[in-house]
Formats: sequence, structure tokens, C-alpha cells
Amino acid sequence: MAKTELNRKIDTETEVEDSTNLNGTLASVMILGAILIITWVGLYMLFLSR
Amino acid sequence: MHMHKFEKIWLIFGFGALLVFLTVIGVSAFYLGNQPPSCLATIDPEKVDTTAPFNEPGLKKVEGKEWDYELVFVASAFSYSPARVEVPLGAKVKVIATSKDVMHGFQAAGTNVNMMLEPGYISEVVTTFKNPGEFLIVCNEYCGVGHHMMHSMIEVVE
Ligand SMILES: [Cu+2]
Repeated sequence: MAKTELNRKIDTETEVEDSTNLNGTLASVMILGAILIITWVGLYMLFLSR
Repeated sequence: MHMHKFEKIWLIFGFGALLVFLTVIGVSAFYLGNQPPSCLATIDPEKVDTTAPFNEPGLKKVEGKEWDYELVFVASAFSYSPARVEVPLGAKVKVIATSKDVMHGFQAAGTNVNMMLEPGYISEVVTTFKNPGEFLIVCNEYCGVGHHMMHSMIEVVE
């Protein structure tokens, strides 16, 4: 007899990326921070010099 | 709540920066007394020519003040009075300016002097001319057909 598939388990598992590795994020945040500090200090020096 | 160690680092960095900048603004305003160039000083724009100090535009030596000179400018479409002025090198100068008609700009290119001149208001800024040379004053607020021709010159001489 044909079997209904009402009770068949549908495979919903998707691969989860390892979200605890933030090395790249840290690097990009620090690079952005450095750019902000360099431009701020540069403009402040310009302000003081003229 | 779980928070990654790195997230803590950049959150502290961000909040620290915010705190530093707010402190800088607070110290600048309340301890050093810095204020915007136009700070509630008013004038009748119709009577600028007869109101002191604008009845005598130009450089004037002053005694007993925090600055050595007062440099008075009157702006009107499309010129500044005076059209050229000499300032001694190293002088601490208070620039006092206003407009007779519409809104004008007042920027001495290559210096920190940059303010807006609004009719009815007096704009002031204190500056020290540390570098010799000619500094072009330009109008950087669009004021009409002659806007691009509107200029003056400060010459810093030794
Ligand atoms: Cu103008």
C-alpha cells in the first residue's frame, strides 16, 4: 500500500557558519578607527598651524 | 548576554571617543568660553554706517583688551569695506563684521577665519596672524549676481 509522506521529516538543517571568529571584523574596525584618528589629528594640526 | 571579547574592545573604543569629544566641546564652551562667531550681538542693518564700530571700518589698535587690534569689516552686495587692509605679523586681532543687506560669507583663505555674516547680527572672531603674506577674503554664501566678484584682502606684514 502507498505510504503518505505526512510524517516524513523534512531536512531543514542548514550549515551554520562559525560566527565566533571575528578576526577580520576586528581588523577592519581597527583600520577604520585608525583612519578616523589620523584624519582628526591631521585636521587639528592644520587648525593649529594656520 | 554573551558578548565577544572583540566586540567589547570596539564598543569601549567607540564610547571612549564619544566621551572624549563631548568633553572637548564642554571644556571649549564652558571653561574656555568659546562661542560661535554670531552670538546674539545684534545691530540695525539699516543703520550700520552710523553705528560704532562699523562707521569706521578697518584696523584699529586697542588697549587693555585680550587682543591688540580690532579689524572691522562691513559687507554689502558685492563688496567688503575695507577692500584691502594691512595687519602686522603676529598681532592678535578681533575681526568684527556684519552685513548691510543680505547674508554674506567671510572666509580668509588659508586661515582659520571663516564665518557667516547675517544682516542684523554682528559676527566676531579672535585670531592671531602667525604667517606673513596675502590672505584673500571671499564670500562663501551665495548672495546674488556679483557673488563671485566679492572679495577683500588682508596683507600680513612684518
Ligand atoms: Cu556676498
